[in-house]
Amino acid sequence: MEKSEDVPKDFIKLKLEKLSVDEVSELVVSPYCGAVSLFIGTTRNNFEGKKVIHLEYEAYTSMAETEIKKICRDVRQKWPSVKHIAVHHRLGVVPITEASVIIAVSSPHRAESLEAVMYCINTLKASVPIWKKEIYEDEHSWKENKECFWANSEK
Amino acid sequence: QVSVLYFARSAELAGLRCETLSVPREITSLQLWEEIVKVHPRLAAIRDQVVFAVRQEYVLLGDQLLILQPGDEVAIIPPISGG
Repeated sequence: MEKSEDVPKDFIKLKLEKLSVDEVSELVVSPYCGAVSLFIGTTRNNFEGKKVIHLEYEAYTSMAETEIKKICRDVRQKWPSVKHIAVHHRLGVVPITEASVIIAVSSPHRAESLEAVMYCINTLKASVPIWKKEIYEDEHSWKENKECFWANSEK
Repeated sequence: QVSVLYFARSAELAGLRCETLSVPREITSLQLWEEIVKVHPRLAAIRDQVVFAVRQEYVLLGDQLLILQPGDEVAIIPPISGG
């Protein structure tokens, strides 16, 4: 795989298939960068004492991609030395312990990529139209991120 | 005529994911919500927890005046849970 120009790139993908940490980190690797920072969001097997069978994700796909692009643009404004950004989010059924989201950022030095990854996942949770449904043994529940400003905090 | 998209809990309550609705070209976001609830009364249950996305920009339910074009996408956005 050659990156002859090494122009900063955003790699955004919403997909049904299992996510790959190797694939996502290789997307952002660059000879100009000494740091690649990664975040992996995985699925837990329990919530409030109920056993989670699996998760299902759905998305307003076109708007989700646009919102993720906005996040990438914001990252580059805040941390201009950031090189490549990759955000892969899984849709559909996600079994327990498998990754639902992987974010990778490369930069020459580690501070920027670490901060940028944290910004990406926090902002994604607040602004990207993706929904998670937890499937329990006898019911299901649509989750609500606390970062989402239009969710009720008390139910 | 706009395309209304339903997601997550709103799709469960409305029983569908997508439909075309005829609404006035100029309408507040709250009035638009009320038009949609006329067609799908069960949506009233989530009124305090949703926002719209009009042409892929978030809009709160309220007095904001929307200028809609034929074919515009309006999405009902329940609280999100990505990541």
